[in-house]
Amino acid sequence: MPKALPMRSISAGPSDMQSRPAAPEPAIYFDGETALRRQVQVMLHSEHLGITPVDPPGKPFHWPLTRIRALAAGHDRHADLTLTFHADTDDESPRDPARLTIASGPITDWLRNQPSLTRRDVRRGTWGKVALYLGGAATAIAVLVFVLLPRIADEMARRMPIEREIAFGQLVIAQMERVLGDGAVLPTCNDPAGLAALDVMRSRLTTGQGLRYDLTLRVLDADMVNAFAAPGGQVVILRGLLDEATSAAEVAGVLAHEIGHVEARDPTRLAFRAVGSAGLLSLVLGDATGGTLIALVGDQMLSAAYTRDAESAADAFAHRLLTTTGIGTEGLATFFDRIDGKGLDLPEYLSTHPTTTGRANAARAVDQGEVTPVMTDREWQALKAICGEGG
Amino acid sequence: MNSQTTSTSVGQALYGTGTSKILSLAMVTGFLSLITLGIYRFWGKTRIRKYFWGNTRIAGDSFEYTGTGMEKFLGFLVAVVVLAVYLAAVQLILFQFGLAFVFQPRTQAEVIMQLAVIYLSFFAVLPLLLFAQYRSRRYKLARTRFRGIRFGMLGAAGGYVWRAILYLVLTILSLGLLWPLMTFRLEKYMTDRSWYGDTKFTQGGRWTGLYGAMKHLIIGVVILAVGVGLGVVMQSPAWAIIGGTLGYIWIIVGFVSYRVQSFAYLTNHKTLGTDIRFQTAPSTSTVIGKVILGGILVSVITAVVGGIGAGIVYAVIVGVAPQLGAVIGILLYLGLLIFAAALSLHFITEPIIAHVITETRVLNMDAMAAIRQRVTDKGADAEGFADALDFGGAI
Repeated sequence: MPKALPMRSISAGPSDMQSRPAAPEPAIYFDGETALRRQVQVMLHSEHLGITPVDPPGKPFHWPLTRIRALAAGHDRHADLTLTFHADTDDESPRDPARLTIASGPITDWLRNQPSLTRRDVRRGTWGKVALYLGGAATAIAVLVFVLLPRIADEMARRMPIEREIAFGQLVIAQMERVLGDGAVLPTCNDPAGLAALDVMRSRLTTGQGLRYDLTLRVLDADMVNAFAAPGGQVVILRGLLDEATSAAEVAGVLAHEIGHVEARDPTRLAFRAVGSAGLLSLVLGDATGGTLIALVGDQMLSAAYTRDAESAADAFAHRLLTTTGIGTEGLATFFDRIDGKGLDLPEYLSTHPTTTGRANAARAVDQGEVTPVMTDREWQALKAICGEGG
Repeated sequence: MNSQTTSTSVGQALYGTGTSKILSLAMVTGFLSLITLGIYRFWGKTRIRKYFWGNTRIAGDSFEYTGTGMEKFLGFLVAVVVLAVYLAAVQLILFQFGLAFVFQPRTQAEVIMQLAVIYLSFFAVLPLLLFAQYRSRRYKLARTRFRGIRFGMLGAAGGYVWRAILYLVLTILSLGLLWPLMTFRLEKYMTDRSWYGDTKFTQGGRWTGLYGAMKHLIIGVVILAVGVGLGVVMQSPAWAIIGGTLGYIWIIVGFVSYRVQSFAYLTNHKTLGTDIRFQTAPSTSTVIGKVILGGILVSVITAVVGGIGAGIVYAVIVGVAPQLGAVIGILLYLGLLIFAAALSLHFITEPIIAHVITETRVLNMDAMAAIRQRVTDKGADAEGFADALDFGGAI
């Protein structure tokens, strides 16, 4: 039987101002145990919604008003309202499997004003779970990038046949040319006298040194003061380095350092690592095209972020090479000194390398032995002019 | 809709309650995904599914999608780690073997190697795609309810993967002639493992029954072959161009026709339990008409809105502050992509779904009353693999 208006309402809010519908209304009920469609009558009481099965008939029961929740699609005032109630089930949401569908009418209008109807009921421990998963995923990715990937990369670099490493190095250089040239391919400098001087430099550094790789030297016409080693014994010098250096010994010093990287297979390892982490990034960001991948590899190779250990080893190698070839370490030390003076103007070569003052001192501390010039003055001038129009 | 009508033995399926809200819903979820750097997409997709499920009714009762954005997000986190390990390994190994791939192949051996690398990388990811495909369907079924009763699908993704690869190979070797065999057997594999409450679905019919659906595809290929053949024999490019163009268009129509009509054949031969059956008769020409009309509307509206937006940005901002203009331009472009995706949901996807659903009915609906509930499927990865591999579209 309809009751008088309640004096007390469970939920505070605008519904208190609105009269509670007292008449029963028809509805459809599914008990969540069978797919049987039941005609029921629903009626609002002060603290619960009474439900009386009509066809097939059954025992009346009720849902507490504070626990009644609407299904998400319940905002349209003219549509049916499907209800369920908050219960601590094993389901994806803490909801009872029973469903009650009431056609739009006074009862649905009243219910729609109940704030509890749209409450989300986050299960206890949900945020802990989110934190656990996020932390777990971040840890796993970090382990992958910083532990697993370097080891795989080292192993693969170790096993790679040299001719394949050379082919790979050419790809890396082509990519660097594209990155450095901002889209356009950088010209390779090929003044004949300059190339001859470059060959003098090459044989001074390699003859009789028992190197694993046949060293290939190239000069690219770029302003940047830099030299980098690509996989397979290929070392690229940028014109800016030749402009900056005041003697052939300085250039030879820098090259000796890069040869150290080549012999330790650092560029190959780095490239493998770069490919792996670029692949991971494109997976997380959902970029399946891999377009960013190659670009990123070129970029990482350019910044040549070798480890401190790899740098120290390359320096030590350079000291030995410069001493046994009779070039001497003074050129390397001088170059470090001058670059140090330039400060932040030349970040590319410096940023990922150990502090230059320390390295200059270390280079000077090496026992020099007998020192002979790298090449004649004339050859040095030819090398500086390898890109044409005088360096 | 009138939910008070008692169920009759024929349950007519209906879609929608009047005005469509998909456009604004897709715009809002797309925008939220954009500003959360994609994290909201799991919640967004869930909201869009709830919308489509809720608008689908049989005999007056609507379907319900109970999935949550949170479980999809957590599933994605797990899947992304598993995939990362797998793909990192695959990628590094292929990288090792495939270095010659990037260069111009100069010898026969290099050409073979190049092809091998392409196929190897495809076949390394293919099992994962198939696995994710099965899991995605299982998750969607496990999160679908009708009359309060859950659907469900058995966990058998492994068996699906090797069968799908086998049928794919057969289809390729037969130049597509065994495509119906693949379509039928894979659908049967999934249907025979699908349940509504405690009652199992069964896929009846025969795989050869799908050749009827393939009719227009075959006609298109024949036209193409005859046209090009005539062009060669008669030495007239005109024949080849006319035959080629007509055949090409007919083949595209044939693909749509195959999808629509194979769906109809498979649905008409499904049984739920022993005696609940389904009838559907979607029209290929209606579907194609909606694709063309919707496609034109989406393109025109996107172009007009995009043009006006670009014009305003150019006129108002670029002259004054070029860098700010560039940033706003990029944001507008991303916004336009969201807008276009929402428009295509509104003008193409929803009308086609509505058409197919309205053409569908359930026979012997009364037998449903005896169907009982099934236990919750935890859903494990909540189709995280499909999300991580980024397929499945907007719904």
